[in-house]
Amino acid sequence: MASPIADLTYRNYDGPLEPPVNRWWAIAKMSMRLSTKKRGFWVWSTFSCFWYGILLIIFYVNDTLAAANPMGQQVSLLKGLVWKDQFLNAFSESQLFLFILALLTGAGSIANDNRAKALLVYLSKPCTKLDYVIGKWLGIFIPITLVTTVPAVVFYLYCLMSYRSYGFWSQDPWLFVQLMGMVLIPGTLYASITLAISSLFEQGRLAGAVFAGVYFISYFVTLLMELVHTQMTMGGNEVPPIVNNLFYASIDGLQIGMLKIILHTNGSPKFPIQLGQMSTRMQVPEPSTFLFIPLFLVICAGSVLLAWSQIRAVEVVR
Amino acid sequence: MRFLKPGETNRRNAKYSHQSVSVAIIQNLVVRYGNFTALSGLTCEIPEGCTGLLGPNGAGKTTLIKTILGFVKPTSGSATVLGFDIQTAGASIRQKVGLMPEQDCHIPGTTAVQFVAYAGELAGMPGDQAVRRAHEVLDYCGLGEARYRNVETYSTGMKQRIKLAQALVHGPKLLLLDEPTNGLDPAGRIEMLELVRSVSHGKGLSVLVSSHLLPDIERVCDRVIVVMQGQLRAQGTIRDLKKIEGRPVDVELRENSPRFVQAMMDKGAVVQPPKRSTYRIQMPGLPEEIAKIAMQAAKESGAQIRGYIVAERSLEDAFLEAISAK
Amino acid sequence: MVVASQVSRWYGQVIGVNDVTCEIGPGITALLGMNGAGKTTLIRLITGQLRPTTGVLTVFGLQPFANPEVYRRMGYCPEIDNFYEHYSGRDFVRYLARLDGMSAAKAASRTDEVIDMVGMTERAGRRIAGYSKGMRQRIKLAQAMLHDPDLILLDEPLNGLDPVGRREFMDLLHGLAENGKGILVSSHILFEVEQMTRSLLLLHRGRLLATGDLGVIRSLIDKHPHQIRIDTDEPRRAAELLASVPNIVSMKFDRSGEALELEVREPAAFYDALSAAILERGLLVRGLSSPDNNLESVFKYLVEA
Repeated sequence: MASPIADLTYRNYDGPLEPPVNRWWAIAKMSMRLSTKKRGFWVWSTFSCFWYGILLIIFYVNDTLAAANPMGQQVSLLKGLVWKDQFLNAFSESQLFLFILALLTGAGSIANDNRAKALLVYLSKPCTKLDYVIGKWLGIFIPITLVTTVPAVVFYLYCLMSYRSYGFWSQDPWLFVQLMGMVLIPGTLYASITLAISSLFEQGRLAGAVFAGVYFISYFVTLLMELVHTQMTMGGNEVPPIVNNLFYASIDGLQIGMLKIILHTNGSPKFPIQLGQMSTRMQVPEPSTFLFIPLFLVICAGSVLLAWSQIRAVEVVR
Repeated sequence: MRFLKPGETNRRNAKYSHQSVSVAIIQNLVVRYGNFTALSGLTCEIPEGCTGLLGPNGAGKTTLIKTILGFVKPTSGSATVLGFDIQTAGASIRQKVGLMPEQDCHIPGTTAVQFVAYAGELAGMPGDQAVRRAHEVLDYCGLGEARYRNVETYSTGMKQRIKLAQALVHGPKLLLLDEPTNGLDPAGRIEMLELVRSVSHGKGLSVLVSSHLLPDIERVCDRVIVVMQGQLRAQGTIRDLKKIEGRPVDVELRENSPRFVQAMMDKGAVVQPPKRSTYRIQMPGLPEEIAKIAMQAAKESGAQIRGYIVAERSLEDAFLEAISAK
Repeated sequence: MVVASQVSRWYGQVIGVNDVTCEIGPGITALLGMNGAGKTTLIRLITGQLRPTTGVLTVFGLQPFANPEVYRRMGYCPEIDNFYEHYSGRDFVRYLARLDGMSAAKAASRTDEVIDMVGMTERAGRRIAGYSKGMRQRIKLAQAMLHDPDLILLDEPLNGLDPVGRREFMDLLHGLAENGKGILVSSHILFEVEQMTRSLLLLHRGRLLATGDLGVIRSLIDKHPHQIRIDTDEPRRAAELLASVPNIVSMKFDRSGEALELEVREPAAFYDALSAAILERGLLVRGLSSPDNNLESVFKYLVEA
């Protein structure tokens, strides 16, 4: 029988311990816990799906008006809509917010650890460098992917239930599979790039500033190319391929390009209003699959490798 | 205890330590960084209990700790820690070993509780156990309400405590402390040493403390290992290291008294020149007998004895001798 | 060398030092105190980085704030170690020597001298970025001694030094002190201070709590009776023989049963009684010691009082 007075001095922990392998999940969990604690994360996540909301309202109003009109079905805006392009457009509208989310969750992930010398904590526990990189990567990838997945799936299910008569299913029976591929793109890219940039710095803010710089400067290229493309198309000229390819040469553009490849579309105008041939031609066409899929993979893998090489287990003694 | 010449292996010591269980056995360990040899054939055993790891800067102490944890791969030689081979079972070792590093380190953006619980989870504790244990360990480490505050706002003393807490959370069998009292003020230093002492005695936890502050080592450790130039120089209990040949005694008087010295010399003692008012006296006999003689001498010479102890050298002197032995 | 009279300094609402009056003379003086006790503020006041809010502080009879006359005779070794990391130790010191106004040739020769004094001659050519903490401390001390100052202030100079380096460093300081220099050392590590000096300056919460010689200070703390420990095989008999001595506050048997621990207020009478017990009654004593007769206990008594 134990003594009625408990001994509260130090005692050893003899409870359960999981085997010391695959500790990356704990790291990913902690990263996510820290980023979801920020209020900004929820705010920007909510904003990121605003285009789906606008589309739903337009569709709903249109559908309701059409039902009231005997000829409605024929003239409805929903008729002749390219459904998969709506996902593309909603994604393209959410890009700025996804960038902010990546900034919130990713930019400081390794940089702050460098400042706090957190690696000493990680590596003195049964974690390997691989666990650390995988954990940190997932810690950025999972939240961003969830933010892209949830609204896409909800929108898909809603359309599937309501708009089959407008060809939602028949147009693209494999759309759901394509969507599942599409939602992985931003998470993968952002997790890799922010990890690489973050690993180069000792301060989260600095890493964030550099990441934002890279983002906006490259985005400027895309904007410029879009302008050139529009002007040339309006002028009735043939657009040189270099312009089309450079359009995708930014963090945003690369994702759009990958999405166009996955959805196999050139895209269509933002507002689902038929503007005829011209407006379809205004879209920058789908990039080359054989160029951009390897490019995307190389960028992601290269970034992760850069991060890997930057993470030093322990500084070598003097 | 005896001093070892560089390159000499210590069979006798290896045999001696069969009596107590060793938490780490290191044999002929060589670690090189490029051209620089940090450990050159280190052979030693870390016994159970609290052991001090001593050595001048660049002697290889930090490298030894890193090697034990599997951070650096040895060039040759072998070592087992808690029965695991460092070459193959690094992860298992790190699950059973806690490290309190010298540098300040924490997980950014967390409170102390989150940080320590997270450290536990990293070591393989289930999440719910980790939180419970984190609170328990923070209690031992004397971190009160501050545990709900962000770690980045902590003072040096609190950072040291939390570093100890994260090293203890998963219930390690071996605790490695690298300069645990760095940057602490006197009160903080005493508290930290008491803490280390209390966890390292009778709790099934062995501790290896590396420090430049030898009195700190003396306070918490029973044994020491002296490393220099990547090799073992001396090892043994602190008490043995401090012993002086011939067992002289130190007599402290209220004030210097040449008459007392004369009286003692008349009684056949050898008296060394005083340090402040303390005389080192060598003469045959038990300490009790010498005490009586000294008292007599003091009475005759009108001096007053304020202190009387069997002389030992400071650990510092012992250490300096060990590292200068060639 | 330094005379402070009723010096206070506060920053907004935070008080650094409060009404400090003291003198610092030649030799080594230790500046003690907990974190935040005002040590650094006092050092900054003496080095003229701050001006006292009230009171007057003079160094060599002059007010140090923004006074190059004082700086010429004062060396300062700060706690923080910020260097031009890409310089070599020698270049760094030489650069500071040039700042001191020495000619290029004088600067070079003086640099070699001080670098030799701190034992860095072989390593001074390497870049500071690769230095260990102990090497950094030596370079800091070297630059403080460049202009052969009369007063040197050292903030935590022994941090990060290994025992060998510590001993060398202390020998160096002792050598300087013997040449009549004034040295003020702030430190947290009390046993080190004890090896360096008996002369203290203890700050607590911005106030000057004690100043002077350690032994004198201890004997003046009356609130805490002196602890005395007698190692003997017959502690109970010792207690019996000594119980009648006046001024004994308490007696306690050590757990091992081989020692008697006493608290005594006026120890002189007690020591005589002990001597009598040993000589006349044949009490066998193996050891006699005062566990609280050290800086650490004195510090504790003072700060906790």
